[in-house]
Amino acid sequence: MSTQRHTEDVTVGQEMAPMVKNASRAQLFLFSAATNNPHRIHYDREYAAVEGHPDVLVHGPLQGAWLSQFVTEWAGQAGRVLGLSWQNRGRAFPERELTFKGRVTAVADDEVTLEIWEEDENGAVLMPGTARVRLPRRIS
Amino acid sequence: MVGQLLGEPLTATITAKAAQRFAMASGDLNPLYMDDAAARSAGFDCTLVPPVYLAWALSAARPLSEVRDDGLYLSGGRRVALNVARVMFGGEEWTFFEPVLAGDTITSEMRLKSLEEKTGSSGAFVLQMTETTYTDQRGRVIAKALGRSIAR
Repeated sequence: MSTQRHTEDVTVGQEMAPMVKNASRAQLFLFSAATNNPHRIHYDREYAAVEGHPDVLVHGPLQGAWLSQFVTEWAGQAGRVLGLSWQNRGRAFPERELTFKGRVTAVADDEVTLEIWEEDENGAVLMPGTARVRLPRRIS
Repeated sequence: MVGQLLGEPLTATITAKAAQRFAMASGDLNPLYMDDAAARSAGFDCTLVPPVYLAWALSAARPLSEVRDDGLYLSGGRRVALNVARVMFGGEEWTFFEPVLAGDTITSEMRLKSLEEKTGSSGAFVLQMTETTYTDQRGRVIAKALGRSIAR
């Protein structure tokens, strides 16, 4: 987070710089631990197959945390995330590139509305969402 | 049933260490979560807590005897008892009113907002909506979360 984004910098249609994530299996394990989640689909590949998955799955809430990070970094330290929503659409797997993208859909006073989403390496949308952010004004 | 409290309210003090463990596990090294000096220079008294960590920060530890074969905890507590094989989270909608600071003591109350039986392309399912309210030690509502889950 180097330079602060201000309301005056933002226009409808503007795209957010993408953020790329690629979860290791160890990261999934640490996220299970940090959220006290013992569900085996996140660390036991053989068991994940029993539930019909070809590999262990990235936690929905980890993808939610990434969306939160994506928007928080875009807003900068003086920005505030006021609202954040997402829908779980598709499965995400470790050791694959996951890309977070977004664009500005509305600017009203100091409040910016963003359309955000997570894509897999084939461009399929795994998690669409929206965010509301308040940005500081440039002091004139 | 709609509007009923799902389980007892949960209360916990969120430590900087627990919040940092969550942030690090998410791959998020935001200095406002990690560094007191950075947080102070941004106008806060101490480091912040990643806001979506609220969903996990308050839950109580549970004994191994309550872990099922699939690794999930036996139901009970904060959900409607549904006779289903699987509950999947369908999405979340958060509103953040105030930043969460390390050391805050937060209480959450989860209520049932709606319960609907539906039929989709892969059969019948139940759509459950919950609303969780998070209140800090001063009694201010700091966040709300709507949760959508699908049971089949």
